[in-house]
Amino acid sequence: MRRIIYWIFILALQVFVLNHLDISIYLVPQVFIILLIGLRLDISRMLQILIAFGVGLLIDFFTSTPGINASASLWLMVLRMAFLDRQDLKEHIANKQPYSLKVAGTPYLYTVSVLVVFYHLYIFWMESIGAIHWGKLLSTTLISSVLALTIISILEYISLSSSE
Amino acid sequence: MQRLLDFIEQNLYIILFAVLQLVSAFLIFGMNHYQQAAFSNSLATVTSELNQMSSNVTSYIGLKDQNALLQEQVSDQFRTSSLGQVLYLRDTFQVKDSVGRILFDMTPAQVVYNTSYKANNVFVVNKGLEDGVRKNMGVISSQGLAGIVLNSNRKYSTVMSLLNTNMTVIPNINGQEYYTKLIWDNIYPNSMAIKGINKLEKIEVGDLIQTGKSSLLFPEGIPIGRVTSLEEIPNSQYFKIRIETSTNFRKLDYVYVIENKDGNLIEPLLEE
Repeated sequence: MRRIIYWIFILALQVFVLNHLDISIYLVPQVFIILLIGLRLDISRMLQILIAFGVGLLIDFFTSTPGINASASLWLMVLRMAFLDRQDLKEHIANKQPYSLKVAGTPYLYTVSVLVVFYHLYIFWMESIGAIHWGKLLSTTLISSVLALTIISILEYISLSSSE
Repeated sequence: MQRLLDFIEQNLYIILFAVLQLVSAFLIFGMNHYQQAAFSNSLATVTSELNQMSSNVTSYIGLKDQNALLQEQVSDQFRTSSLGQVLYLRDTFQVKDSVGRILFDMTPAQVVYNTSYKANNVFVVNKGLEDGVRKNMGVISSQGLAGIVLNSNRKYSTVMSLLNTNMTVIPNINGQEYYTKLIWDNIYPNSMAIKGINKLEKIEVGDLIQTGKSSLLFPEGIPIGRVTSLEEIPNSQYFKIRIETSTNFRKLDYVYVIENKDGNLIEPLLEE
């Protein structure tokens, strides 16, 4: 139940708050991807793919960008699988734990960082396809990724504090 | 088999990933107007580039076809003659007799300068002494007789055109040689006159005029032209014949310079 509320909270934060930030055109943080990154480790790969597609499509529905977040989420999930294959998580898979800082430690930090940057780069690239300004694309990606990682860090901190 | 099935089962998520990516691509490029326009634009660019590449390739293939066509035309010129075969080499090709003896070497050349409106027309080809082209070699086009080499330097040769008052070619009409001259009178383009043929000769409009055996410069059977009119001169026993040259001298691009391989052996015999 707690997990479902967490999902609804993050999705609502993304759809109703973060997608409507009018601070700068360079600030479009995609925080909801922490839900995909933090999926339970024992979930089958088929189900992971389906969840990624479903969540991406849901975000697309609210942002009127059909397919962009769905495609990006699918890539993100495949990359996550590749990263997780290189980490020793057998015990945590058996315990059906979600992927988190508490479970994976330092590798979690770089996995999240890389996936967040990748996701932002992919969606901004897809949005500007055909007229790409690399300077704008890279700066948007960088600024939005930093903001997204900051929010994710705060959420992780709150999550860790409450679990303790 | 079981291993294969296990492999497919383990990697089924990749198939699902690919299918869902296709669905996403369909949504992105089908339902987002901007991405749709960008995709159409990119597709048009790629298509036009592919078309350009295709055009380049087909034009190159076209060149090959053009070359084959020219070679075929030259072959046709020899088909009716007593000569046996034409052997194509890299740059030149050889005309052999029926027992395989080389009779003529033919070197392709490009016309770089040409006149066809003067009393004494000449053209220049881009082959010279370095290519084995020398004075008094015959020159033909893919359509027929073109001229005789007047002079050569290292790289180029001047050719006396058939449309030249100094040109002497003995015509062979309907397989019979007439010891008269083709006259370039500069009245009509690509049109020459023949005088001195008796009215009793069986010649009709449309008859083909070719080279015969009386020249060492050209193989027998090279088209010179066709009879376009037969004029009976009053109080004369001769026709005045007009012919249209087979070679279009106003559009002369490529020619073949002919070397009679046995010319230097035959000529001394004739001078004795």
